[in-house]
Amino acid sequence: MAWITKNSATMTIERRQQPCLTEEMKADMSKRLLPRYETKMGALLPVLHEVQEHVGYLPHQALEEIAAFLELPPSAVLDTASFYEEFHFSPVGKYVIGVCQSIACEACGHQPIVDHLRSKLGVEPHETTSDGLFTLLCMECLGSCDTAPCALVNEDRHDLINIEQMDQMIDEIRAREGGQG
Amino acid sequence: MPMTGPVLTRRIPTFPYGDPKKRRTYWYDDYVKSGGYESLRRALEQEPAHIVDMVKDSSLRGRGGAGFPCGLKWTFLPKDYEGQRYLAVNADESEPGTFKDRLILDYDPHMLLEGIAISCYACKLQTAYIYIRGEYHHQAHILEKAIAEAYDKGIFGGKGLLSGASSFKVDCYLHRGAGAYICGEETGLLESLEGKRGWPRIKPPFPAVKGLFGKPTIINNVETLCCVPFIVEHGVSWFKSLGCESTIKGPPSFGTKLMGVSGHVNRPGVYECDLGIPLSKLVEEYCGGMRNGKKFKSAIAGGISMGVLATDQYDAEMDFDIGRKYEVLGLGTACPTIFDEDTDMVMVARNITRFFKNESCGQCTPCREGSGWMYKLMCRIEAGEAKMKDLDLLLELAGSMGAMPGTTICGLADGNNWAVRTIVNKFRGEFEARVKPSFVPVTVGVG
Ligand SMILES: Cc1cc2nc3c(=O)[nH]c(=O)nc-3n(C[C@H](O)[C@H](O)[C@H](O)COP(=O)(O)O)c2cc1C
Ligand code: SF4
Ligand code: FES
Repeated sequence: MAWITKNSATMTIERRQQPCLTEEMKADMSKRLLPRYETKMGALLPVLHEVQEHVGYLPHQALEEIAAFLELPPSAVLDTASFYEEFHFSPVGKYVIGVCQSIACEACGHQPIVDHLRSKLGVEPHETTSDGLFTLLCMECLGSCDTAPCALVNEDRHDLINIEQMDQMIDEIRAREGGQG
Repeated sequence: MPMTGPVLTRRIPTFPYGDPKKRRTYWYDDYVKSGGYESLRRALEQEPAHIVDMVKDSSLRGRGGAGFPCGLKWTFLPKDYEGQRYLAVNADESEPGTFKDRLILDYDPHMLLEGIAISCYACKLQTAYIYIRGEYHHQAHILEKAIAEAYDKGIFGGKGLLSGASSFKVDCYLHRGAGAYICGEETGLLESLEGKRGWPRIKPPFPAVKGLFGKPTIINNVETLCCVPFIVEHGVSWFKSLGCESTIKGPPSFGTKLMGVSGHVNRPGVYECDLGIPLSKLVEEYCGGMRNGKKFKSAIAGGISMGVLATDQYDAEMDFDIGRKYEVLGLGTACPTIFDEDTDMVMVARNITRFFKNESCGQCTPCREGSGWMYKLMCRIEAGEAKMKDLDLLLELAGSMGAMPGTTICGLADGNNWAVRTIVNKFRGEFEARVKPSFVPVTVGVG
């Protein structure tokens, strides 16, 4: 639910030596993004996107650094970031499989696919496999209802998905990633 | 006169005018070769006010859901204000069942940019932001590239529109959302553009007076803006020859419309049709009929907020009269989801209430609490654990959301209300079959 935020009083903040927002990134963003908006806060969404892409998720340290960069209170950055589903505050799997659960996809049979993925990956929606490879999500309409049921795997949309196709994709990823590690 | 050839899908092969397999993205050179940016050239030869008049006279109505007259909206801008004004292009397209704007973004991005350039010139808007939903990764890349091309070729940027053909300068930026349906609501979108949570604003003040960063702002849907170059190029009477007049003395529905059909049909997809096409014709002639030879049962009129059509409303005309004629909220995005005879309407209602529960932004109590309760009730009904009186409670809750003006800030609550109410009212038998009779206490006098 978009309006529930975490209890920040009970959160421990992990920090690391190197910054999440490097000087290089700041210089680039100052030149490219900030001039597009009347206020520095206007650039918050694009900055959050780019930092998340760089780090993989948005640790608290990143939120603090973004706040300093845009001259905002950290609470304002958290307030905005926590509102949006796409921003993650803890690491997610290397492959995020988001199956659409909205009406056209449910009417065209998304549920058996989700159930299969739950048992194959051994996780519930919004959980990540212990090897850190996969996060399963149930998402709302992906704007591809003509190819229902569909799913978003990281940035790529998969149309007219079925159990065999998802199995094959997961097996391939496992073989590939397992081979490397 | 009905449409004789594709308009918005001129470069996007679409049945019956072309083969969808041959679709490809038109980049700048191809776009110009096929007549692109000619409308902009023509527009710049005219006074901005004349273009606003043309759009007003054409009766072009917003394609983003509300159907508000586009030209009229443009005239709400303050007249003698020379300062910064904005255009916010609504490419958030998150209403379940809707995927029509994506077709334009995927294959003809410069058509949108041309519409933006002309609209900015007409309304003297110096900066345009295209707010695209976060999940449209691929489409965002396409737009980035198209915008870069447009700057490169002098459409936007420091020299003035069309490499200085007009001294008026326009900047155009892409702004990605991050997964929040409510940011499609126009003032939620503005808040999100300002870097805040997408909480819709109380109106008035209206955005045309006080919008983005407090400046006058026009918000239009992608498809609406794409109609503008065609009106400039072919004229008002041509535009009014497409589509239809109202049959109930309402405002007319002129022009063509992208209709994205999903669900239980043979060929789901986006089709460009005259407004006013009967849903049955859209399904039977464009979509190849119902899937597996099944019968039509119901359809979501145009995005789930609009509610559903009953089985005997299969011939409903897809135009802006549809709300008043067929007891739905309205035409919405004109993207119907079709259900066949085997569809469980209780499932449909449960799915829709889950969506609204997830997407309510939480500002207004009736919407935040009501959407959660309705979802829980729907889960109970679906599981066969509810009682007859729960059905009335469901309708009462729905009725408390958005129906009373002023109790909620934006249209999301009303959409939730219409969706639930129309499904329960039009398919009440299915719901009654799933609930247990309410327990009626009977006292028997003993002794
Ligand atoms: C909850 C809600 C969600 C909306 N989502 C969208 C959307 O995704 N895209 C869109 O164009 N309009 C959306 N709208 C409609 C906009 O508020 C607005 O009316 C529209 O962008 C105006 O453009 P138009 O007049 O060109 O249609 C939404 C409205 C509401 C109440
Ligand atoms: S009606 Fe619902 S979605 Fe709209 S502002 Fe109120 S709480 Fe938010
Ligand atoms: S309902 Fe699944 S993509 Fe639209």
